[in-house]
Amino acid sequence: MSKQMPDEYYQLLHDLQTVDFVLVELNLYLNTHPHDRKAIEQFNFYAQKKQVLKQQFDAKFGPLQGFGNSYSRAPFEWGDAPWPWQV
Amino acid sequence: MFTPRKFWHPYVSPFDPCKPILVKSYSTPPSLYIQVQPPNLPQFDPHTALCKGTLWPLYYDPYHGPVEGKHPEVER
Repeated sequence: MSKQMPDEYYQLLHDLQTVDFVLVELNLYLNTHPHDRKAIEQFNFYAQKKQVLKQQFDAKFGPLQGFGNSYSRAPFEWGDAPWPWQV
Repeated sequence: MFTPRKFWHPYVSPFDPCKPILVKSYSTPPSLYIQVQPPNLPQFDPHTALCKGTLWPLYYDPYHGPVEGKHPEVER
């Protein structure tokens, strides 16, 4: 069974992955440089951006995360394919 | 001295049953030469960073696989 998702789906996932990567890098950097204010500002900027992207994605394509970290419409959308590892 | 790859010429026995590998190499990534990451380094833009695997160009260590092509200094 194959289902073609709209371009926006892939665009949003790619943007999320990109922002997540920047956050991982900055997180690792900040572990050793806890007083770098500029980096903390940048970290918070991307953390905010991640929230916005995640909410956009959740609202359009169903929950990204389970156990209450994302909202769902009815019927419950958690089981709807494609799952992230199927994209 | 900083180079992302170092090379050596192993001894080749005259009785080597296989075709000898004359030059061997190993990877020496930039992180080996930087003790503590200096603050305020220039950064890649986020999409490039995802592609390169690091946010800071200073730490970028190109992988010379089938896509990037052979390392310029590798013979054969």
